[in-house]
Parts: sequence; structure tokens; C-alpha cells
Amino acid sequence: MSASLRILLLAGLAAFGGCRPATPGSLSGELAARELRLATNFASARADSPRTRVLARWILPRELGEVSGLALTGDGRLLAHGDEQGAVFVIDARRGAVLKRFSIGTFDGDARADFEGITVAEGRIVMLASDGRLHEFLEGAAGERVRFDVHDTRLATECEFEGVAYDATRQLFLLPCKSVGRPGLRDQLVLYRWRLRGTGDPGLAPLAIPLSRVIGSNPWKDLHPSDITVDPASGNYVLIAAQERALIEITPSGEVVRAMALPGTHGQAEGVALTPEGILIVADEATNRPATLTLYRWPLTVAAREPP
Amino acid sequence: MPTFKRLIDIVTGGSKRPLRRLAAYYAVLLVVLSALILAYPATNAILMGGDAPSAGLAPQLLQDGLNAPPVADLLLGPGSLGEMVISTSLILLGIVALMLPVTWVYMSARSAPGHSQDVAQTLVILPIVVAGIVFIVQNSLALAFSLAGVVAAVRFRTKLESTRDVVFIFLAIGVGFAGGVQMLALGAIFSIAFNFIVLLAWRYDFGRSALLPTAASQWSEPLASLAAGNGNGNGIPDRDLVLALTQKNVNALAQRFDRVRGVLGPSRKKPRYNAVLSITSDKVAEAQVLMQKVLEKLTKRWVLDEVITHTGKPSEVYYLVRVGKAVTRDELITAIRTRAGDRVAAVDLELGEALTKKKAATS
Repeated sequence: MSASLRILLLAGLAAFGGCRPATPGSLSGELAARELRLATNFASARADSPRTRVLARWILPRELGEVSGLALTGDGRLLAHGDEQGAVFVIDARRGAVLKRFSIGTFDGDARADFEGITVAEGRIVMLASDGRLHEFLEGAAGERVRFDVHDTRLATECEFEGVAYDATRQLFLLPCKSVGRPGLRDQLVLYRWRLRGTGDPGLAPLAIPLSRVIGSNPWKDLHPSDITVDPASGNYVLIAAQERALIEITPSGEVVRAMALPGTHGQAEGVALTPEGILIVADEATNRPATLTLYRWPLTVAAREPP
Repeated sequence: MPTFKRLIDIVTGGSKRPLRRLAAYYAVLLVVLSALILAYPATNAILMGGDAPSAGLAPQLLQDGLNAPPVADLLLGPGSLGEMVISTSLILLGIVALMLPVTWVYMSARSAPGHSQDVAQTLVILPIVVAGIVFIVQNSLALAFSLAGVVAAVRFRTKLESTRDVVFIFLAIGVGFAGGVQMLALGAIFSIAFNFIVLLAWRYDFGRSALLPTAASQWSEPLASLAAGNGNGNGIPDRDLVLALTQKNVNALAQRFDRVRGVLGPSRKKPRYNAVLSITSDKVAEAQVLMQKVLEKLTKRWVLDEVITHTGKPSEVYYLVRVGKAVTRDELITAIRTRAGDRVAAVDLELGEALTKKKAATS
């Protein structure tokens, strides 16, 4: 073997060293540094500050390029899923790390549907498809494919859904309508409410709020909610709309608390989640840049600015 | 390669047995691979496929979107061009390492001599091409259909000589697929199992018809002839036959060739002798005296080459002689029989090739 070839091989191996995953020591160090950085940013981003800053932004893996929904588990881990495949990523959003990935499906492969939202209800995970079908399952181990049950809300003709949340206080699923099918409700922000278990009709009367009240002085002509979450502190519903780049907070009775433009630069905001300690997480699909998770301090006041 | 060959020699203790050398090759490959995995754990992904989150063994850090990663990470970090180039190169190297022993087995373990060099080279190249195609297609159904369309348009068809070649080609495709989906461990298992099964089938002549002679019996006669040293000299051992000899027999054969070469003289000159005269006699001493007189008279030069004595049957005496153009084979044999009478039981003269041709043309 010639000397130049040996040098080339050694250089290749040395370079390959740069590709290996972080060793446990360096990984824990990096995670600790990220945690500290988030805490510092959180403390400096005072709620009463005239400007709200981005606490952190994580670039999601390629498989989550079409991230469509976010939800938080009881222990604070973030669940995220893509658009067409029933794969769920469990993420440590505070420190920016994918903890594991599992999927729903049967023996012959992962479930496929137009998945649009995810939420956690009574320890079980529920994913919503755009036709109103709810896929209910338990959290799986890393790499596991878990079985699921499907509940059809039969609302496909009335609405196209893009998000789901669970109101634990009222034990209701909230399904905001992106495109309203019922003629009498087209000038309203419509939230369908669904009870998964219990007696009687599972479908309750939808919560409808006139769009004019929701939009207020904002320059939006319409509103197409892309995801919804429940504020653990106040119990209010927080919605985002990708098309209008809007963020709306309403009470469970339909009073509008906040209607504002999404902070920062969000190309296609498709997922939202709120942590109990007051961190708003917004997920963006990949557009002309990779899919991301962006963290803000909640509640927002005015439009956030990017850090220098 | 010489270094690697020496390494295999050390592991096998210099053994030339194919099974041992093959086992040694894979053992060395395993050691190299283990060292690589220990030093660079990312190699495991190339062998077993999948990515870190799927494995679920450790958290996979997400890239920080606010703080730009260092240049080194951009060049060589996860998902970078550098990582792709290096991992792809390692996969291709792994494929070559797995296919080399397959080519050795293809070239050596055959019931009939000869193999196709094209097929041997294809066995190394084909899996690389297959892996490249799988890299490109990956999970895309659209790309797979496009590929099928392109292949249909190219329409390459080659007729292979034997079913055995087809099986080797299938293995090459299998290893290529394994490399393409980053499951080289599977490819290694295919390669190892295939090579050992083929070698064992060859070694024990598996599937031979009971009515046909075994390979061993076909070889035994010419080998015994060469080893015994009483061959008639007509057969020139071919390469495979010589390679099949034991070291002892090869040495004995080489000594005989050396002796003949010494007698014949340097190759540039005309051969000193052009014929071998052999007689059989019960009275060797008397026959030799009589032969001396005849040879002095009818040949240009002669020398006693060998006397082989037997008990219970006539002994053999060999002379190397140079016969002149004027003396024919029959004249010389007739003169010997006339002079020696009943002291010589049989006479034979084997003329050299050049002289035989010349005399045949004259007659």
C-alpha cells in the first residue's frame, strides 16, 4: 500500500470520527449547557418586557419535515408527528434532543393517513386525521410499532380538521375547524367538542365565535386554525393559524383573550404546545428552511424579535 | 496485498487449505471491523441500518437553529455532505471486502478447469452498482418505477455459461442490496455462508452421479504415474496437475528434469543427444559391452543414462544417443539385435521430436 493511500485512509477515518454520535460524556455536557442557556434566556425574557425574545430554536430531523402536530405528555416530554405516516417522535424540547421514535400500525407496516394533530388524554395518546378520525393508542418503546383504535367523529363532511387538543377539566376533545362545511357557520371560528367515553351523544354542540370578534383589528380576512392547545395555567384555548400567521387565545366559554400575529418569522406554523412553566412551543413545517421548533416565554405581549 | 497475504499466512500457520484461509480472511475482517466499531461507533449504523432515534439507545441532539453550528459540524456532522461521502465510501469498501473471497471461491472451487474472467470481475463490480442504485432509490416508489423504466430501456442481456455463474451473480446482487440499505452485516452473513457451502460442496463432490468416477479417481492415475517415476514421458503434466502434486513429488520431478537438462546441454546450442535408446536384458553386464561396440560404430556420441535393475524380470538400461542423419531407427535396432543376440530381450529407440519430423518428411 502506497504512503499516499495510507494517509488518505487515515484522513478518512479521522474525518469519520467527526460523524460519530456524541459520546455519553459530551452529550450530557451539551444537554446541560442547553438547559442552562434556556433558563438564562427564560429569565431575561421577562413577561412584562416590551419585546419578547426567542428562547430557543431546534431544527427537526428530516422525517419531521412535514410536522403537523405537537402535544405534551404529563412528564413534560413533547410529542411530534409528521403528515402521512403514523410515526411519533418523543422530544426533549427544553434541551433539543430526540429521545425516541415509535409508530402506530399493524404487522404489515405503519399506519398511513393525513394526520393533522396529536394530544394526550388520560394517559393515552390520540392522533387526529383530517377526516375527523381519532387514532387512540398507548406510548410505545423506542422503535416499537403499537396497535391503535380508531374513533370516527363522522364530522368529515362538516369540517376539515388540522388540530386537536384535550381539555382535561371538561374531559373534552377540541377540534378547531380549518375549513367550515356547514353554510350557517362559515363566518364563525368553530370548535367541535367531542367526548370519547361516557354515556350519551359523544358529539356536543360546537363552540362558535364570530370571526369579526376573533380577528378584531388584525388585518386577517379569514382564519384557518392549524393547531390548538390548552394553557395548563389558565385553562384557555390557544390556537395558531399558519395561513394568517395568527395566534389566538380564547376562554372555554368563547371570550377572546388575545388575537395577535405570531411572533418571529414563521413560515408554516403547524403545531403548538404550552408547558406548565410557561413556554410556548411552535412547530414549523419545512418550507425554504428546515422544519423547526421555536420556544417563547408565555404569555406573549408583542411581536418577538430574533436574537442578534 | 502482500501484507494482507502475510497476515493470512500467520493466522493459518502457512496452510494452503482453502477452508482455513477463507476462515482466516473472515476472522481478520471481523477483527478490523470490531476495531472500527470500537473507535467509531457510527460504523454500526452502516452495518445494521437505522438511525439513532430508531435505535433509541441515546438521545439524538437536534441542531441548534439559533446558534450556528461550527464549520466542522457543517462539513462532517450528522446529515452533512462529508458524512454521506464517508459512509458511502465505507459501504463500498465493505462490499468489496465481502465480494473478494466470493471471487476466489468462484475461480478455484470448480469441477472443471477454467473460469470466466468477465464473471469474476462482475462479481466485484456488480454489487457496487446495485448498492448505488439502492442509495438513489431508497424508499421512493416513484424513483423505483423510474429505475424500472430506465432498465427496461437499456435492455442489457448476457448469456451466462453455467447455472453456477448465475448463482454467483445473484449473490453479488444480494450483497449489493444489503450494502444499499446499510445492512452490511446481512451481506457478510450471505457471503460467509455462501462461500463455505460452495467450498464444502466442491470438497466433497456433492451431487455427483454414482455412475461417474469421482474427481479424486480421475486425478489419481496421472498423479501416481508422475510420482512413481516410471512414466513413459509422453504426457506433459498440465498446470493443474502439477499444482495438485505433493511437495515431495514436485521435488523428485524437478530433480529428474534437472538431470535431463544437464545432459542435453545449454538451450542455445543444438541438443547433444536426440534419442533415448532403451534395452531390457537379463545379462546387463554382457549386454552393455556389446551395446558399447554398436553405439561406437553407428552413433555420433552416446552416454549411459540409467540402469534399472529388477528381480524376477529383465533389467532396463537407458542410453542417451545422438544419431546421425544417415542412420535410421530400424538400422540401429537391427544392428543391436544382430550384435547382441539373445543377450538383449527388447530394444527400443525414441527419437527426438525434431529428428522424427525431419525423417518423416524425407520418407
